[in-house]
Amino acid sequence: MKKDVVTEKMLSRRNFLKTAGEAAAVAGLATTGIPLMTGQAQAACDALPKKWDETYDVVVIGSGFAGLAAAIEAKNAGAKDVAVIEKMPVHGGNSIINGGDFGAPGTKLQKENGVEDSPELMLKDMLRAGMYLNHPELAKTVAYGAKDALEWTESYLGCKYAKLNFHGGHSVKRAHGTINQSGSEVVNKELAKAKEIGVKIQMRTKVVKFLSNKEGRIVGMEVRKGYKFPDDKSGKTAFVKARKAIVLGSGGFSYDVALRQIHDPRLTDKLGSTNHPGATGEALLAACQSGAMDVQMDWIQLGPWTSPDEKGFGYTPLFCEPLVGYGLMVNPKTGKRFFKETGNRKERADAILLLGNPAVIMGDSYAVNKQVVPHALKGGMGIGAIKKFDTLDDLAKAYDMPVDVFKEQVARWNSFVEKRQDDDLGCMIFKDAKPTVVAPFYAAKLWPKVHHTMGGLVIDKNAQVMGFDFKPVKGLYAAGEVTGGVHGAVRLGSVAMADCIVFGRIAGKNAAGEKNWS
Amino acid sequence: MKKHLEKKSMRGIVTLLSMVIVFAVVQLLWAAPKLDISKASVKGGDCSACHVQKKMLPDKHADTKTMNWEACKACHNKDNLSLTGKLPNSHHHMLADVNCVKCHGKTKTPEALTMEQCVACHGSTAKLAEKTKDVKPTNPHTSPHYGTDLDCNLCHHQHAKSENYCAQCHKFDFKTP
Repeated sequence: MKKDVVTEKMLSRRNFLKTAGEAAAVAGLATTGIPLMTGQAQAACDALPKKWDETYDVVVIGSGFAGLAAAIEAKNAGAKDVAVIEKMPVHGGNSIINGGDFGAPGTKLQKENGVEDSPELMLKDMLRAGMYLNHPELAKTVAYGAKDALEWTESYLGCKYAKLNFHGGHSVKRAHGTINQSGSEVVNKELAKAKEIGVKIQMRTKVVKFLSNKEGRIVGMEVRKGYKFPDDKSGKTAFVKARKAIVLGSGGFSYDVALRQIHDPRLTDKLGSTNHPGATGEALLAACQSGAMDVQMDWIQLGPWTSPDEKGFGYTPLFCEPLVGYGLMVNPKTGKRFFKETGNRKERADAILLLGNPAVIMGDSYAVNKQVVPHALKGGMGIGAIKKFDTLDDLAKAYDMPVDVFKEQVARWNSFVEKRQDDDLGCMIFKDAKPTVVAPFYAAKLWPKVHHTMGGLVIDKNAQVMGFDFKPVKGLYAAGEVTGGVHGAVRLGSVAMADCIVFGRIAGKNAAGEKNWS
Repeated sequence: MKKHLEKKSMRGIVTLLSMVIVFAVVQLLWAAPKLDISKASVKGGDCSACHVQKKMLPDKHADTKTMNWEACKACHNKDNLSLTGKLPNSHHHMLADVNCVKCHGKTKTPEALTMEQCVACHGSTAKLAEKTKDVKPTNPHTSPHYGTDLDCNLCHHQHAKSENYCAQCHKFDFKTP
């Protein structure tokens, strides 16, 4: 009986691949007529190629935090040949444009700053923000593994963290800011380490399809080498064999307008994204086509701290986020505060969208000089997204606010800061916050952009990808934003780095531990 | 039955052939002249050597056949009739006597180069970043993301129009040569 089920499943998967291949061939022919000549259509029909162009023990897809952590750990766990493939011409994906905050509890930097924290508390925060949709075991793995992962980046990779930051939705300050306030500090050092220990890095190589053998195990993939994003016809077909396993660290799909609209029809091309343009979902979908199950794909996070006055992520988040709990956020139409500044991303983005117009975040010189890194301030002002004003009156007028109401709000906020309690909206007010009185004042407009896709592939706590039959998709691991379930409905700021490094390392180790299939 | 099949396959072949022809015509119209690496000895100013039967310059333009880059600069400079972004960089190289072979080597199938090739002649990117440190709104040759390691060819294309790679995410208004 059991045997029959397996055969049936196997057959259906093979049939599916075959049909998909034929469909692709017909589609290709209809548009250009080229695939006939290259013989590519032929290969797509075969379950496995006669000859593999390249063979590795472990192949990792994606060169961000998760992918590179997986590659390093796979190599160190004994996988001989490890390769990372990246479809873009540059490494790092979203990680290299990430703001560089690593959430971890109970660390040295927290102790130095007098912050009491624990994995239990971090998990509690993650679950509360995630509306308890988080897969508890996955969230727990991140919360309890974050400190060790952070220390690994320090002691093994040589990353430096300079400052403890706060992100909305956390109970305490637990975001460890890299020395350059960018994820590049970590991802560049991961890349250097990976190269140093002999991991092969291949840019401009895009996954087309995962290939499974008769037993339904993933054994390799069809790729396009020399791929020029975003031209799907660029590059040459090649077949890459993975003796042990493939690790997906290919990131989310915030920039994939078609895919994100399938799951959340509001997210049309009218909404910008903070992501790099390659944050599209082909590798994720390819995994689904090979039997991997997806989960919570419609929980797509909007960043509440982006500016309509600049492109992408920009400088404004690095201005806004350190200012919450030190300065105030107002609706320029009324001149009044409307939502707690230290609320989580979803709460704040929804509140701003509900206004129907951009909000304004502001701080005085004391708060800005203390909290905002100079390059972000300078950059944001250079672009015109952050503005400087000598008086509160000037600030109010610049954003068409009712001057008196606004000044009254500032006075009211200041009274809350004095007594460390916000009676109106329950905003957290930090110990070293001071009333907003020191000129000049700085302000920026806020309007949400698509930031993170919480949903993705189902994995277990070993980073093993699970199939639609609730069984492991053998030979396929995944880590980071391509997976779903860790964050539930809302990913808290600074937990992406923790997620990627924790699960990237687990995925790499376990991939290396697989038995060779041939 | 057989006849029917033949008819069907004939129709298929005709459709395919017409598609191939349309494709070829489109290719001809849009593609750059077919690069023949054996023409490596051609002078950069000799347009018609590669652009066969196609006039590339305005009617009143001086004869460029024997010109090199220095000669172009007599009329085209930064402030007047600037060629920045107008002439593919490979032409600039050709005019400066850097022909196909000098970058791609003697081969019938030239391949894309890595930036080591650029740096070998143009010097290190760290030095370049120092030279452009005052460019507004920010230095184009270094970034918090990649330092000075970004491949030259991401912006400075040789056989296509150059682009401002930063502009994917940033509002930097660079003019990329």
